[in-house]
Amino acid sequence: MSFQTSTPAAASLPRAIAGSLVRYGLILALVAVFAAFSIATPTFLTLANLQSVLVNNFTLLAIVSIAMTFAVSLGGIDLSVGTAADFASFAFVSLVLAGQSVVFAAAAGLGAGALVGAFNALLISGIGVSPFLATLGTLFIGRSIQQLLTNGGNPVYLPPTGVPESFRYLGHGTIGGFPVPLAVSVVIIAAAAIVFARTRFGRVVLSIGVQPSVVRYSGVASRSHVAMTFILVGLIAAVAGLILTATVTVYIPSSGNAFLLNAIGATFIGTTLSPLGRPNVAGTVLGVLLLSIIANGLLLTDLNFYWQQVGTGTVIFAVLALSFTSRKSSTAG
Amino acid sequence: MSADVELAPPMSFEPAGPNRRQAGSVAAAALRYGSLIAFAAILVVFSLTAPYFLSIGNIGNVLGQSTISGVLAIGLTIVLIAGGSNVVKGGIDLSLAANMGLSAAVYASLTQLGYGDAVAVAASLLTGALIGTINALAVVVAGIVPLLATLAVMNVVAGLELVLTQNTVLPASTPLLAMLAASDSLGIPVLAYYLLGFTVITAAVVQYTPLGLRLYAVGEFPDAARAAGLPLRRLLAGAFIASGISGGIAGILSVSYLSGSTTGSGEMLLPVVVTALLGSVFSRRLVPTVTGTLLSALLVGFLVNGFQLLNISSTLVSGVQGVLILIVVSATTLLRKQES
Repeated sequence: MSFQTSTPAAASLPRAIAGSLVRYGLILALVAVFAAFSIATPTFLTLANLQSVLVNNFTLLAIVSIAMTFAVSLGGIDLSVGTAADFASFAFVSLVLAGQSVVFAAAAGLGAGALVGAFNALLISGIGVSPFLATLGTLFIGRSIQQLLTNGGNPVYLPPTGVPESFRYLGHGTIGGFPVPLAVSVVIIAAAAIVFARTRFGRVVLSIGVQPSVVRYSGVASRSHVAMTFILVGLIAAVAGLILTATVTVYIPSSGNAFLLNAIGATFIGTTLSPLGRPNVAGTVLGVLLLSIIANGLLLTDLNFYWQQVGTGTVIFAVLALSFTSRKSSTAG
Repeated sequence: MSADVELAPPMSFEPAGPNRRQAGSVAAAALRYGSLIAFAAILVVFSLTAPYFLSIGNIGNVLGQSTISGVLAIGLTIVLIAGGSNVVKGGIDLSLAANMGLSAAVYASLTQLGYGDAVAVAASLLTGALIGTINALAVVVAGIVPLLATLAVMNVVAGLELVLTQNTVLPASTPLLAMLAASDSLGIPVLAYYLLGFTVITAAVVQYTPLGLRLYAVGEFPDAARAAGLPLRRLLAGAFIASGISGGIAGILSVSYLSGSTTGSGEMLLPVVVTALLGSVFSRRLVPTVTGTLLSALLVGFLVNGFQLLNISSTLVSGVQGVLILIVVSATTLLRKQES
């Protein structure tokens, strides 16, 4: 990335336009997609449907994407977010089935997610393996362990009756009319935004992502920050696993991986919102919103179900192409 | 903390102590030969415990079963070589498995519509090449990092496959497919020969021609390559297109192997990525090579096969793959720390 200190005013006009296209491309895409679906389908712009977008499409992906944002902010990536969610889900379901209290099972679930993160942290901070390969290894090992635990991948169901009320509350309850899962995701988003904007930890994470060597030479314990970040990623992903389980009352091995690619997509789409192309919480949330609206809107159109994936992929591709070409032309020369 | 993988040791021009350098090269040799020895040990253990393991028919079977993932992994290897060792910004093609699925679906659909092998083969290869071209344009012209570009393309391609097949199995049978699915008089599947032939041709181009040398130069030392006047963008684009064509070839092979196009090709992606990354331990300088990737594909193939013969759950295979890649990468990383 090249930084420009001064540009002649005359020549900078096209660049300024290109630059603002980068910054507002995501918002323009959101508005355009929103408008297109409002016109194309009569049911899209109803309160019930918009609520359903938030509850069904947005919540879980947002939580996993926030976890991914931490890993990407650090200059890394975490391919095992789904694994952490799965392990949390498995621990949670097994312990509830074994008659333990929901609070204890949930705590154990969070612990299982943190354990996955700690394993990554050991590989990445301890040994120095690149995050991509370390978490890829974790993903593979995690898949194997889950299949061993479930006799080759059988789902673990909770009985329809006799499930503790507090369990159901986590998945289907409301707080003052606000669905609990959505409330949890809002809290996580807000907390992440505060961590990045207001805490030393957040600033260190961001600076490791930009200038790892400078951070190291300035005497910050960057290894322990990296380790803590990956544990945090596992912990946040575990929350998504718990909510998923509480919503559908079943653990399906390796189901968390369904979030992986969309979370990566949302996080990187979100980077287009920042002038320097850095991951940021607001961008990630808008990225998740974009993907959720597309998923929901395409479902409402008469288009074949299978066109949805084509549509989602095309929009992601278009947003990325727009932002990267204009970023290139705004920084080139 | 960057997303660098750096499987290739950075070249050092600083005078290092002879002892240190020696220790480094001893460790590198240990890793390289260690992985070969581990491979040999696995073969020995399986042949001692499962009598049928070492028969010609079984070895041919393993080769045949490894063909599709081998072709895909070799295609990915070309991108790894030209893109360099940084997995996020450099060479990665996540669309390969989906590419195979769509190419297979195109082949099966066309034969169902009554077209012959010639048209279907051409269409599959064209599909693969087209996907490769889109990746190339996205990376080279639009400047999207390969991880993201190929991720988006993967989604589109996998979606198109679903649209085309309605998520069902499309059976196909043609003379060419029958020929590919057959076995020779020794009981070795034709696919096995195909894998060897594909490897020989690709290895010849990538390891023994100036073009191949340039691909390595672009990937490992882009600045030096640019200074030397190499057409960086064209070479990188070519690598993505070659990888796309490999996806098309794998598509045709998978139609013959499975007697039609089936769903779930995306499952192949991560094993293929692991195979290609793992392959670098079988090379002299710990860089991605075509023959190294072949060895790594066969290693995985023999593992799966041995587990089946010993009645060990094949679900363990992905765990073993994960452990393998972590051991290899940890060893390489520690080695590099020691060297510098």
